[in-house]
Amino acid sequence: MDVFGSFALLLAFVCALYALAGGIAAILTRRPLLIKSTRQAGIAACCLIFMATLSVVYLFVTDNFSMAYVVSHSNRDLATFFKVVALWSGQEGSLLFWCFLLSIYIFSVLITYRNKHGELMPYVGTILAGVQLFFLTISNFVASPFKTLAAAGPSGGLEYFARADGNGLTAVLQYPEMVIHPPNLYSGYTGFTIPFAFALAALLARYPGEKWIHLTRKWTMIAWCFQTVGILLGAHWAYAVLGWGGYWGWDPVENASLLPWLTGTAFLHSVMMQEKRGMMKVWNVWLVFITFFLCILGTLLTRSGVVSSVHAFAQSNIGNWFVGFLLIVIVVCLAAYFKNRDYLKSENQLDSIVSRESSFLFNNLVLLVACIAVLSGTLFPVFSEWFTGSKISVGAPFFNKVNIPLGLLLLFLTGVGPLLAWRKTSAESLRRNFLWPCIVGLAGGIGAFLLGVRDFYALTCFLLCTFVAATIGIEYYRGAKVIRIRSGMNWLSSAVELTLRNTRRYGGYIVHFGMVMIFIGLAGQAFTKEVQKEIPVGGTVAIGPYELLLQAMDQKQEKNYIAQRMIVEVMKDHKPVMILFPERRNFPAGQESGTMVAIYSTLREDLYVVYAGVNQGSDAPTVHVFLNPLVKWVWFGGVVVVMGTIVALLPSRQAALALAGGKVPERATGFASAVPSSVALREGHD
Amino acid sequence: MTRARRRLTIAFALAIAAAPAAVVRVQAEIDHAHELGKQIKCSCGGCEQSAGTCYHVGGAFSGPCDLAKTMIKEIQGHLDERMTDKQVIAAMIKEYGPAAYMEPPKEGFGLVAWLMPGLYLVAGAALVIFVISKWRKRGAAAETAVGSSKTVSPEMLERARLLAQKATEE
Repeated sequence: MDVFGSFALLLAFVCALYALAGGIAAILTRRPLLIKSTRQAGIAACCLIFMATLSVVYLFVTDNFSMAYVVSHSNRDLATFFKVVALWSGQEGSLLFWCFLLSIYIFSVLITYRNKHGELMPYVGTILAGVQLFFLTISNFVASPFKTLAAAGPSGGLEYFARADGNGLTAVLQYPEMVIHPPNLYSGYTGFTIPFAFALAALLARYPGEKWIHLTRKWTMIAWCFQTVGILLGAHWAYAVLGWGGYWGWDPVENASLLPWLTGTAFLHSVMMQEKRGMMKVWNVWLVFITFFLCILGTLLTRSGVVSSVHAFAQSNIGNWFVGFLLIVIVVCLAAYFKNRDYLKSENQLDSIVSRESSFLFNNLVLLVACIAVLSGTLFPVFSEWFTGSKISVGAPFFNKVNIPLGLLLLFLTGVGPLLAWRKTSAESLRRNFLWPCIVGLAGGIGAFLLGVRDFYALTCFLLCTFVAATIGIEYYRGAKVIRIRSGMNWLSSAVELTLRNTRRYGGYIVHFGMVMIFIGLAGQAFTKEVQKEIPVGGTVAIGPYELLLQAMDQKQEKNYIAQRMIVEVMKDHKPVMILFPERRNFPAGQESGTMVAIYSTLREDLYVVYAGVNQGSDAPTVHVFLNPLVKWVWFGGVVVVMGTIVALLPSRQAALALAGGKVPERATGFASAVPSSVALREGHD
Repeated sequence: MTRARRRLTIAFALAIAAAPAAVVRVQAEIDHAHELGKQIKCSCGGCEQSAGTCYHVGGAFSGPCDLAKTMIKEIQGHLDERMTDKQVIAAMIKEYGPAAYMEPPKEGFGLVAWLMPGLYLVAGAALVIFVISKWRKRGAAAETAVGSSKTVSPEMLERARLLAQKATEE
């Protein structure tokens, strides 16, 4: 099977090479047969990568310990579930997995648009083949997962051998979230290749109109959604496994995943200006390019050892390959831009500074500043070493201090943007739109203050969250009211109908509401409480309204590890509420240990209990307890964000009717006539 | 404002304002050495955590990261010598070097890290304002040009229709 997989991967390389070279020739000669054959080569490469990936999974599941990669990342006692996951637990396998996910996207694009956008698709296919070829080069010739174990035999020749068992999977990866976190994050990273290919292709082909931007937006949303889920799952994994009480440590690899997310978010907002008003064309193209650069840079940071990180793969020379690829991509993008920059000329001008367009500009500014601040902070140790000879490290306190104000500014703009009209907002409109959200926001801030919140940032955050939620609520209320008057439906049905009629606009609002929830959760971090204490069996430790009683210590033997665990009874107001089992696990195969945090989670707070070890002097177990307020809001907010993104990706009901040949309801007259004079009709966030 | 609208707004405001009610004002109960340890980076090299929070997996089975524990003990030693918090941090940086900073110092090259984000924001805001004013001037010039011409070509009319349609569609 290893030979089959290795051969499939090599053949995929050949197909991708043909798709790239043939694609360039097809663009130059415009021969239909060549265009078709290169597309088919691209599809074949995707299928071959799929086979190669499957073969690695097969090697893991069948415990083939003649393969170096399998030996390094699996062992016989490992659950089958984790054997499959072990595919992406190391450098080589994760790069192949990256290739695999990229090939799913490429396959989807090549099949979906095989008879569409004839002028554009040869360029798109060629660019995608180029990216795929790079990753196939790495997987075939630099970091192949198909290396077999071999050593010099007695005769001096090379002899292949198999080990009886493997080293096992890294302890921290043996957790269910690790099954879904990397695929989501990688799907985000690889997904940004598609908008990049469309943007570059449109620029190279001087593709007329804004069609490419419609296509790009959809793929960007898909990639952005995966990236969001990946980031949140990673945060939840860190929270539940690492045992330091938090979920975001500003680790370089965490930062690397945030960078394309920030620029992708900026693009999803600024793209509306191009669609609506034909503006920001240069900016949008470069945002897509930069997002892709950041994906490659993120991979470089993770895999080259440039910066130290708990996530990083082993140090290797693979970074040079990524630097080379990044430079090629930058040169190609610059060349394409300078050759065809007149194609990106703006069609419109800005009419007023108090407009939706301005709010998007400032939104983009804040997102970009946050991105550059995170990037420069991440690379600061490298810069400081270059300039001063000593590495000055930059940790979470710096990133928090820099990014909290930016985050709050962004939250403010999230509320302001939808209240401003395109082109120009009159003073009367401003008064009307801002009055109630401001009153509600202020009430939220005062309410938080009265409840004892004194931290400036937390207080501002609660005020702004209330303000943004009010803007969203009022938008929904206004729209649903019109539908309710027309149709006689109840409020809930009217709101659902409203969302389905303009999924993009109201999906966006749902995403914003999810972000509000996430911000509420983040603000809770200002009130974290912790206690660390040696606690004998029968002893107690108190934190906030909780009292923890250590009932007993025990040990459990699992197939792949031995766990020492605490049996902790949690009492609230002297009433038992739950038994928690914080653990420390010892994995004999890899000679590793890991924590398994026990969490009692409510909407109000998380009681987070870590078995911190045994004091070697007194032999007493130590417990580290955190009381983390509002953490659940972050995870629920993430769910809402994903739901909103899915809604925004759905076709609007009106558009669906038009496609089906149904009668599209007349909008202007019918809609306006049903609206009471007190209700203003205004463009929303779509 | 109708009664229903007012009620809905108030209910919504109360629901959102209720979120901070979950927050409990607390006092730190962790020892001071651990608190100070949060300002010093753990030297284990396997994570980006502070000495006060390093639970670097792969550390000794019987407790949190061994190096973090050693650093906390050193901090406690300095505190026992009646050093101030600042002196303790300075002593730790002296011993472990600038790699032990959790945040760059606000002096020397470290100051660059603190100034950069502010500079990005100011420069970016200046750029946005410049772009906006440029676009507005261009818009005003175009309006003047259109106003001075006596006739509007069918192409211009069609373009205006298209733009109006784009700008008003839901």
